[in-house]
Amino acid sequence: MAASSTAAGLETEAAGRAPVAATVWHFLALAAIFVFSVFPFYWMVTTSLKSQADALANPPVWLFTPTLEHYAAALFTKEVGATLVNSLIVGTATTVLAVGLGTPAAYALARFEFRGKRDLWFWFISNRMVSPIVLAVPFFLVARSLSLIDTHLVLILLYLTFTLPIVVWICTDQFRGIPPELEEAALLDGASRFTVFRRISLPLAMPGIAVSAIFAFIFSWNELLFALVLTRSQARTAPVAATSFMSGYELPWGEIMATGTLIVLPMIVFALIVSGRLVQGLTMGAVK
Amino acid sequence: MATTVDPLPAEGPTEDPMGAAGPRPGRMRLSPAVWFLAPAVLALAAVGIYPLGVAVVNSLHRYNLARPNAPTPFVGLDNYVAVLSDPSFWGAVGRTFAFLALVLPAELALGVLFALALHRPGLGLMRALTRVALVIPIATTYAVVGLIGRLIFNRQFGVANQALSWVGLPPVDWLGDPTLAFVAIAIMDVWQWTPFCALILLAGLTMVPRETEEAARLETTSAWSIFRHLQLPYLLPGITAILILRTADVLKLFDAVFVMTRGGPGTATELISIYVQRVAFRVFDQGLASAQAVILLVITIVLSRLYIKFVYREV
Amino acid sequence: MRHTLTSLAAAAVLTFAGGASAWTLKEAAAPYKGTTIKAIFLDRPGYAAAQKLIPQFEQETGIKVTWEVIPYESSRERQVLNFASQGGEVDVALVDVVWIGEFASNGWLVPINKFTSDPKLADPELNLKGFFPILLESFGTWNKEVYGLPFDNYSGLMFYNKCMLEEAGFKEPPKTWDELLNTYGPKLTKPEKNQYAFALQSRRGETQSADSFMRVLWPFGGSLLNDKFRSNLMSAESQKGLEFRQQLMKYMPPGIVDYDHAEAVNALAQGNVAMITEWSAFYSTLMDPTKSKVKDCLAITTEPAGPAGLKPALGGFSLAVSSQSPAAKQAASWLLIQWLTSAKMAVPYIEAGGVSGRVDAYKGLEDKYQFVKPMVASWQGGVPDYRPRFPEWASITEIVAEWGTRIMLNEVSVKDGAAAIGQRMEAVLQEAGYYEGKKPLLK
Repeated sequence: MAASSTAAGLETEAAGRAPVAATVWHFLALAAIFVFSVFPFYWMVTTSLKSQADALANPPVWLFTPTLEHYAAALFTKEVGATLVNSLIVGTATTVLAVGLGTPAAYALARFEFRGKRDLWFWFISNRMVSPIVLAVPFFLVARSLSLIDTHLVLILLYLTFTLPIVVWICTDQFRGIPPELEEAALLDGASRFTVFRRISLPLAMPGIAVSAIFAFIFSWNELLFALVLTRSQARTAPVAATSFMSGYELPWGEIMATGTLIVLPMIVFALIVSGRLVQGLTMGAVK
Repeated sequence: MATTVDPLPAEGPTEDPMGAAGPRPGRMRLSPAVWFLAPAVLALAAVGIYPLGVAVVNSLHRYNLARPNAPTPFVGLDNYVAVLSDPSFWGAVGRTFAFLALVLPAELALGVLFALALHRPGLGLMRALTRVALVIPIATTYAVVGLIGRLIFNRQFGVANQALSWVGLPPVDWLGDPTLAFVAIAIMDVWQWTPFCALILLAGLTMVPRETEEAARLETTSAWSIFRHLQLPYLLPGITAILILRTADVLKLFDAVFVMTRGGPGTATELISIYVQRVAFRVFDQGLASAQAVILLVITIVLSRLYIKFVYREV
Repeated sequence: MRHTLTSLAAAAVLTFAGGASAWTLKEAAAPYKGTTIKAIFLDRPGYAAAQKLIPQFEQETGIKVTWEVIPYESSRERQVLNFASQGGEVDVALVDVVWIGEFASNGWLVPINKFTSDPKLADPELNLKGFFPILLESFGTWNKEVYGLPFDNYSGLMFYNKCMLEEAGFKEPPKTWDELLNTYGPKLTKPEKNQYAFALQSRRGETQSADSFMRVLWPFGGSLLNDKFRSNLMSAESQKGLEFRQQLMKYMPPGIVDYDHAEAVNALAQGNVAMITEWSAFYSTLMDPTKSKVKDCLAITTEPAGPAGLKPALGGFSLAVSSQSPAAKQAASWLLIQWLTSAKMAVPYIEAGGVSGRVDAYKGLEDKYQFVKPMVASWQGGVPDYRPRFPEWASITEIVAEWGTRIMLNEVSVKDGAAAIGQRMEAVLQEAGYYEGKKPLLK
């Protein structure tokens, strides 16, 4: 977006001047960064395609005949598929809820003046900082007394503790960036605050909302501790499936990595598709 | 969509973010704000504050989940006293801050280098490709990062030992040696979070006015001087944001370490969240664990309050 | 067991009175046809064996059996959370020897009495006396009440690579721990070839406390607690055992504190170590040519003896009926447990890779399976409370595991570490009320 177009401009002007040696070093540096970022992921994917013997070979092998057997095992015997569906349900629902609840709040924080606003804002944001272990213990007890253990609902609600702050954080910024004049004209025409919010501000804030939704979804997808404590079998999410391999007598590394790939791949594909937005989000409120 | 880049300048060091909101909304009545805020506040209070209240109450009682028939008497501050005088708790706290002191400088330094390489003109396609690649670690599920760590640092068939053998070093037992295990979890953390730092810092670099940067490049050949005097000021907000967020994240760090080492060998990688989890869900001592959680919360709030006061513009 | 006899008699009387044919599983299960029950299983050979046999049970009874395979390290956590939240998710509870006190005294398990006294449910051939007494006593019984039937039964055994021993000039395995340390250790350890004499799985967790820490206490005459439930770790015998372990580490692979069962078994299977003391259950893993390179060199004997004699590790699991399940599921669960651990199924279970707790099953199998003789010998001796089985073990094992690994890593001395464990352990027992006579000293 803005970043890339600026960079592109710089590049065409500067390209002619860069000495060859510097360009080579630059290329090597970029290649190193690329390998650094991709290698662990690459290693996971290739291991998931190795036979058990290749996966356990010492020293590790780099060339091998790929097999899909571990994916079949992970999907059909370990039921990773069901956990992916659970993660999708929980992630989507909590994101929708967070956006639905968070955007009006963000709007109010951006547009209204009232006493205690700073504290309220701080309180929203500080939820983002709270360690999940702090909430997991009491929430387990509460969920138990409400018979909510092992339901999607309990995770959807609990995930609001980190998705709502993200939405509020990013969207407050976004609403503040919209010129108030646009709204004032409508207010003078007799529209209610809520109509103005819905018809005028919300559409204009879409980029920010999208970014916050993306982050909310990624964080929900990746969450482990709450899911570990609060789910059993029905609502088990994908990261919990990743922890099911911690003991056992012969570790099926191919299958473990196939499971890891199945959990991570949807998120990486998603993140790559929206990577422009993602980068924008990082710069907006430096979200995470 | 690409036209709405206005949020970006708001991050710039010269802008006054308060300008946009201005004093005008001050004339609004209070009541609409309440309606806009109420749903979010109520929801967050229900999932955020109510359980905390439960935690505080539990922390004042003796309460073990695995003893359903035992009485749960009020014990005052006994649990807090027990936590504060427990060397294992302080060991975990110390380890957590040691971890922070290890990974944060590494991530910042590498992040700056990455950002500079990605910002440097030339090699457009390669830069675009590399920038996209940075998204992969960020999007990788933390628990899976732990699994990958166990694979890479495996004593028998880990690729880390293979890499050592290429430079003529003997294999080591990464996850079996306390120091090396600590290093190994730090390496995985640096892998996951350096790209995040790099992207934030890259955004800072793109704020440097193009003309100024061009002019500076013509004047001096010293990259260091350009960095120090021209680019660094634009990086500072990003660096502060990274400091805040990474500190909060390390205090929360659980998933990757839990999967990779479960805190072992011994207590070598037992960070604070892992320790509290052990007390809460292995010993099932809810009183003690709640007291630990409350203390951890206080540490987090104090730190983040300081940080936010220190850097973030408030509403 | 008079109790069994009575129910036998009762069953017999009923049979005659009703003029019906003898008790059959099919008839007993008829009222529960279509019932689904859920069990907790581990990722170990005995459970794989059960999974192979269960379809027979389902076919005969029409009861549907589901199970969830959980890593051992999370299995107590999982069941406690379920029971404490009245989850009703587990019908057939898996009870480790060290959980029986906790599960039983919390009222989470149904005493088998409820079923054995019901002639409709009690198989006349149940014969509790057919189990090795030590197994039924320690895995299934708490405070003289039987709750579970021994299902996955272990004795600590010494598995060794006889080819490696022969190469180093040893015709026989070490008979004592001293011999292992002083004679076998130096000759079998060649770090430059990545070869070590011995591996003692010591990862923090139950592995550290059960397999590593306790294993060096008993043979040297030490123990965790004395009969007043005070720490016995500072006694000369306990200290000697713990010091011994530190010395033995010279002959173990580096990073042994990160070895769990998988790593220790694998180290032997790959020919990197010459000897391990492991649970009998790993026999089938070590004999599997796809997992083991040493199948033809594998030999098995009892654990080495110490100054106090042969005190092998004892461990294992019983299956028990959850008290939170509805009556029909309880009955169906009981029928499964009774069937799976029955004398009739014992041999098929062994052949499928399990280790039965039935005495008679092993008659005639001594030659077929190498592990049988030393295991039976171990079960005839052995310490039933090798690890205390009281509810407080869950807290104590965490303490032992933390400080036990720290001792091995030389972060604290044996003395200081043992003192730290003792002090913390006594605090737990104090809180539980053992020292004020509130609670009987059961372990």
